[in-house]
Amino acid sequence: MTGRRAARAVSFAALFLYALISLYPFLWMASGAFKSRSEILEGGFLPRSFSFDTLVQTWGRLHFFDYFLNSLKVTAMTVLGVLVVYSLASYAFAVLDFPGRRILFWFFVSLLFVPGITMLLPVVILEKQLGVLGTHIGLVLPFVNGTAPLTVLLLTNAYGAIPREMREAARADGASELRIFASVYLPLAKPAHVAVAVLTAVPTWNEYVLTRVSISDPSRYTLPLGLESLISSEVPRYNEVMAASLIIVLPVIVLFLLLQRYFVNGLVGAIKG
Amino acid sequence: MSSLAVKDHPGRLDKRPSRTRSPRHWPGWLTGWAFVLPAVALFAVMGVYTIGSGLALSFAKWNGFTPTWTWVGVQNYLDLLYADPVLAPELRRAGGHTLQVMIAVPLLTVAISLPLAVALNSIRRLRAILRSIYFLPYVTTGIAVYFAWRYVLEPDGAINTLLRSLGLGTLAQPQGFLGNPDTALPTLILILVWSAVPVATLLYLSGLQAIDPNLFEAAQIDGAAPRHVLRRVIWPLLRPITAAIVLLGVRDALHGFQIFLVMTRGGPGGHTDVLGLMAYRLAFFKGLAQTLGVSSALGWMLFAGAVLLALLNARMLRRVR
Repeated sequence: MTGRRAARAVSFAALFLYALISLYPFLWMASGAFKSRSEILEGGFLPRSFSFDTLVQTWGRLHFFDYFLNSLKVTAMTVLGVLVVYSLASYAFAVLDFPGRRILFWFFVSLLFVPGITMLLPVVILEKQLGVLGTHIGLVLPFVNGTAPLTVLLLTNAYGAIPREMREAARADGASELRIFASVYLPLAKPAHVAVAVLTAVPTWNEYVLTRVSISDPSRYTLPLGLESLISSEVPRYNEVMAASLIIVLPVIVLFLLLQRYFVNGLVGAIKG
Repeated sequence: MSSLAVKDHPGRLDKRPSRTRSPRHWPGWLTGWAFVLPAVALFAVMGVYTIGSGLALSFAKWNGFTPTWTWVGVQNYLDLLYADPVLAPELRRAGGHTLQVMIAVPLLTVAISLPLAVALNSIRRLRAILRSIYFLPYVTTGIAVYFAWRYVLEPDGAINTLLRSLGLGTLAQPQGFLGNPDTALPTLILILVWSAVPVATLLYLSGLQAIDPNLFEAAQIDGAAPRHVLRRVIWPLLRPITAAIVLLGVRDALHGFQIFLVMTRGGPGGHTDVLGLMAYRLAFFKGLAQTLGVSSALGWMLFAGAVLLALLNARMLRRVR
């Protein structure tokens, strides 16, 4: 009996230790964000006096509010684009019958194996020719396209799981295909749509690589670029860098805590599917 | 799938005459294509065209500014593989680092997340909140967290301070963990593991929860030690999940380079250069040098690696099923 209790204590200790490891950089991020410029150099975990000065200053400096709005705009447009484009396509893959269905589906899903770096340079060259390089649309288009494999997989599974009787009944009532899609499938697959939305929103919010090489006009910066501009200037003031990092990370954490269920089910569904 | 539905409804309800205003008399294939059209159109521009032009570029030399490309055939590939005295050794070194990441990250991820999931599955209280905490590194992956890691890994940063206060001062790195050529890559590997553990733990946990609890009881009644239960009962059932985790890890090691770009830019002295980062540097950090073709060629070599991986994966899945 004592053996089992000891085992239990060990596993609790391990679980708590790993929780601490998971939280470690966030704890320091928060501690740094509340420190003054002189305090950040001293080390020590707890700031001597909690003040929001650093957060407020960082927010005010470098137009962080504009960056925040830009990030919000790019993320919202990407999520909207993904939902519209791939819900239509997935509906066709899941319930309609047309020549080329299998091949197209297989094609979209196998894009999962195309490395981002292989596409990055040609996308930049193409966007330069089209004149959209450096605009927010120029970010949204490749972002939307990049989510295709996982989204199509998730939504096709979700639509396929809806009983066909529903569709047949709606057809018998004379509903058009678009109508059936919009008033039968869209509402019934709501959890899958939320999952797609959060699984798209989070990486888009954090995206740095393509954004870095496309956007050069500071008024179009998203938050990750704003953060980077803080650190590339002379010696990094880590209290400001941590404040900016906190500004980026907090909305994501809130979103995650609110929609955790969808995150979890979406991820498990996508990877097992 | 559709044949099943027909069997379920021998009456074929859709044969009934319709009276809607919508173009019901479109042939079925047209409706299907109309639904996939936006996705296909976007992919035609952002995918097919770019893939095509990228492939073409890999056979040329170009700096991004001159109006014309200079065709060089397969020279870019040969340069990377052996012909160029600068690029070939660079490729070998970056490839070596990529290989280390590819092996170490999946192994460590499985080694940490499987016991973690088993422990998490064995408790009731606090399970939900611990799971949320474990998940944070995944949802926040990106430049902000990488900067936080940079901050704690600085020479005067929290990790060095922690090591010294624990009496492990010999492990502390006076130049910072990312400044020392010997510790930079292992440090980045550990951070990659830290970001990969959440999804792996989640997958294992969902796998464990799908296992029939009677199985554990039966094993316990038979007097099997927990170690044996893990090896003989749980592990075989979790093998497909492990395969998926390893595949994801290997894929990310081959494709991903963001952490290397943000945290070290391949430094110090190229000790954390990886293949993806090398392609990125050749494409965007070389100013007027004619390296875009070589970058494309490297991108295509990575693509070939990914295809190989996909085939291997298909093969593995077939064996698992």
